[in-house]
Amino acid sequence: MLRKIGLVAVLAALISFVVATTASGSAKAPRSAAAATASVKCGKVRTIGMAAPITGPASDIGNQQVRWAKYFVKRWNKKHSNARIKMVMGDTQLGVDTAFAVKAAKSFASNSKILGVVGPAGSQEVVASTTAYKQGGLGFVSGSASRTTLTDGHTDGNRRGYFYRTVPNDAAQGPAVANWMTKKLKWKRVYIIDDQETYSQGLADGVQKILNGRGVTTKRDSISQKDSDFSSAIAKIPSNYQGIYIPWQLAPQAQAFGQQLQAAGKGHIKLFGSDGLFAPGVWKITGSYDSAFPYNPSSKVVQTYVKAHGGNGEFFGLPSYVAAQVVVGAVTRACKAGHGKTTRAAVRKQIAKTNLKTSILGFSVGFQKSGEMKLPAAYGIYQIQKNGSFKRIG
Amino acid sequence: MASTSRQVLGNLAGLGVLLAIWVVYAVYFSPTQGWTFFFQLTVNGIILGSIYALIALGYSLVYGILKLLNFAHGDVYMIGSFIGFGVLTLLGGPLSPAIPVALLVLCMFVAAMLGSGVLGLAIERFAYRPLRDAPRIAPLISALGVAFFLENSVLLLFGADYRNYDGYDLISYNGIHLGGEAGVFVSYLGVLVISGALLLMVALIALVRWSRFGKAMRAVSFDREAAAMMGIDPDRVIAITFLVGSALGGAAGVMFGLVYSQIYYLIGFLAGLKGFTAAVVGGIGSIPGAMLGGLLVGLVESWAKGYLNGNVADLVVFGILIGVMLLRPSGLLGTPALQKV
Repeated sequence: MLRKIGLVAVLAALISFVVATTASGSAKAPRSAAAATASVKCGKVRTIGMAAPITGPASDIGNQQVRWAKYFVKRWNKKHSNARIKMVMGDTQLGVDTAFAVKAAKSFASNSKILGVVGPAGSQEVVASTTAYKQGGLGFVSGSASRTTLTDGHTDGNRRGYFYRTVPNDAAQGPAVANWMTKKLKWKRVYIIDDQETYSQGLADGVQKILNGRGVTTKRDSISQKDSDFSSAIAKIPSNYQGIYIPWQLAPQAQAFGQQLQAAGKGHIKLFGSDGLFAPGVWKITGSYDSAFPYNPSSKVVQTYVKAHGGNGEFFGLPSYVAAQVVVGAVTRACKAGHGKTTRAAVRKQIAKTNLKTSILGFSVGFQKSGEMKLPAAYGIYQIQKNGSFKRIG
Repeated sequence: MASTSRQVLGNLAGLGVLLAIWVVYAVYFSPTQGWTFFFQLTVNGIILGSIYALIALGYSLVYGILKLLNFAHGDVYMIGSFIGFGVLTLLGGPLSPAIPVALLVLCMFVAAMLGSGVLGLAIERFAYRPLRDAPRIAPLISALGVAFFLENSVLLLFGADYRNYDGYDLISYNGIHLGGEAGVFVSYLGVLVISGALLLMVALIALVRWSRFGKAMRAVSFDREAAAMMGIDPDRVIAITFLVGSALGGAAGVMFGLVYSQIYYLIGFLAGLKGFTAAVVGGIGSIPGAMLGGLLVGLVESWAKGYLNGNVADLVVFGILIGVMLLRPSGLLGTPALQKV
């Protein structure tokens, strides 16, 4: 009898839980759909969202993005007291679960005040949260999601007209990396390890194809973003290989990998990371290489930021400044065209019409219909110094 | 606790045959042939398996005495790793420790084991004891609830950021080369983990086999009511069992942090599952079974990652769990429960 009562109680609790979550989910759906088409009074304060990994394994690069975006907003608000920007944060915890990115997207979509979004950071987050942004009618501009297929209009969904990015895609990063490996470093044997995410696999495939085409011997393996024990993967790497390409997203993982590599007596094999590992102070294996986004070093904006941050430019976050600039510019133009009122659709149209003649990236910024920037751009190559800083070498 | 029987011997013999076939394939026929590679993976697997064995012992101790699967044990291990990291940070960090390294490491282990042990005591007292006479499902759900509670508490208090022990910077990147420079490499950290785990396992066996308290544990495990009638306080015995099991989990957490560097609030989930798998494979409730199971799970994971791919390692490990459940439900060193007819 007691057992039956216990089982019934458990079942009732489970049903209540399911109903509660479903009910709250259903309540949100009409809110987000209503917010998608709502006309918003612009007023003196306009609201945008920012989706970034503020906590979690990728928090270092996420907070670089947040600081650069906030830097733009601060500069904007100083000059535009009648059209200030308020930025609402959404923590996506890149590397833990894309469910956090989806949650942030839904939260933005159901907040009718939010007119556009900066972010998210990771390509897999863009894929996961596209539906939520589209349902909410929100345009979103990423300062780091670089997987090539995000803008092809069909792979993992069609996000054209909603998704834009202020970074060159991996079709530019891969060749830059391969060129450096073959022409500057003259590597003949390269081991490639991806972290099973869409961003990483795309880059690894691209680089491997170019290297093989140039007669470089390559071997391929993969690890999971949840892995901590790399000893077996490291045991597979032949000692006579010259470099290991790790296009990963989680700098703490790269640091742990580098330490275990060194402990296994293979520290002479150089590591080469991608833009996702641009995390000075977190990934600090001296001598390792990294590819990262382009920027204009002679820009006063950049120099002021570098000075304010003790010489550390945090350049992974720099394109998020431009992403914020794009979104805020679009909101401002849409508000002006709507005579003080606007909608998310109007903001999206203005994002598509972006025409920044100069930018801190070092070139003008406008978008193709796909969401890519109009002008092609080159990735920079950095090397980690003894003090943990990243020095640009190419 | 399980005793050796013909079935157990048969299980071990079968395991021996499977292992022999695997070794021959791996060394002579696999794409990555050779004894050096095989032994390197085996050493890696023993290090990992030592950690899993300590986690599995926590599961087995609690199951042996209460017939309860303590699903919060993985998160106790996670908290142990955080305690160890906290002590490391407080005492100067890996690059500039304020006290001698050996003493620092000892402090980390003692703090983690004490902290995890006390946490285990608290969990038993508030989440399991009130449900001791409730239907079996109630403490199981309570255990799951405790697990989520602990994970989210750590997330709230410390955030989702990874912490890095930098164990190699603290101790050494060097190690022992077996068979020359091109031979099998065992880092000093790896040696520390294996020897530390062995020491703890021997201490546990000594506690259970040769101490008065161990006798009390075995009595309560056999028949709680009868033990109470003999003057043994079952509540006290159960509580101390939780303390001991959780302390082992805490020690495992520090070892994990030292060897594999990074810890965060979710490491307990997968490690707990694998520790549970190890306990079940070895025979849940059996101390030697937990040790053997832990070692096997570590070896299988290491071999799978080495000979196959990182993608399939977990597939293989949990596939073995299913296989053992189907073929030997009581595990390799467990004996089937007697049924009164």
